[in-house]
Amino acid sequence: MKEEIIISNHVDELPVLAEKIEELADQWGLTIPLAMNINLALEEAVSNVIFYAFDDEKEHDIKIVISLENKNLSIEIIDDGKPFDPTARKQPDVSLPAEDRPIGGLGIFLIRKMMDNVTYNRHNNLNTLTLLKNI
Amino acid sequence: MNITKEKINDFCVLKIDGRIDTTNYNQFEIELTLLLNTGEKNFIFNCEGMNYISSSGLRVFLVAQKKTMALSGKLHLCNLQPAIKEIFDISGFTSIFKIFDTQEQALA
Repeated sequence: MKEEIIISNHVDELPVLAEKIEELADQWGLTIPLAMNINLALEEAVSNVIFYAFDDEKEHDIKIVISLENKNLSIEIIDDGKPFDPTARKQPDVSLPAEDRPIGGLGIFLIRKMMDNVTYNRHNNLNTLTLLKNI
Repeated sequence: MNITKEKINDFCVLKIDGRIDTTNYNQFEIELTLLLNTGEKNFIFNCEGMNYISSSGLRVFLVAQKKTMALSGKLHLCNLQPAIKEIFDISGFTSIFKIFDTQEQALA
C-alpha cells in the first residue's frame, strides 16, 4: 500500500496533512495511537522543512510518500530546499531540570523516538528524510 | 485547540481541549503571557481534552514552568491522556512538572 501526498511550504498545510494521515490510517487499519505517532513525526519533520529549508519567498512542494508493506511502515519527506540533515543535530539532554532545559530542540528527538529508524539523503538537489517503523 | 479559564481558590485553571501544534501554540503562549501579566502565578492545566501535542506545544509548557518558577508560583498538570503522558515521559517532562491524576488532587 502506498500513498503520495503533496503539500506546499506553508504552515496551514499541516492540519490538512494530519487529516489525510488520519484518513489513511483508517483505510489501512492502523491504530489511533500509531496514527498519532505518525502525525507527530510528520509534523516535526515537515514543519522543520517549512520553517528552515527555503530562503526565497516562492512556493515549494513538499512530497510525502508513505507506504506499508509487511508491517513495515516507511515515510519519505522530500523537499527541494537547502541541504539540511536533521539527523546530524545534537540530541537534547532530557534529564535536565526545568531551569536548565533549553527552549526547543525536541522536534527531531521526538521523530527518533516515534520511529525506529531515521535517515537523511541529499540527491539531485533534493532532501529526503526517511522514517521507518515496524508496526 | 480551545482553552477555557476558571479561577478556583488560588489557582487559575486552564482547561485545554484539542490539539496543541505548530499552527496554534502561539495562541496558547499569548493567553498565558496575558494571564501572567495580570498577576496570575498559580496555574492548573487540565489536559483531559488535550489529544495531541507536538514539540511546539511542549515548548509552551516548558516556558510556562520556567515563568511560574521565576515568580515562585505553581504549575500543576492534571488528567493527561495516556498517549500524551507517554510523550511527556519520552521528553523528560514527567520529572519537571507536578502531574496529578485529577483536578481535585491538583487543587489540594
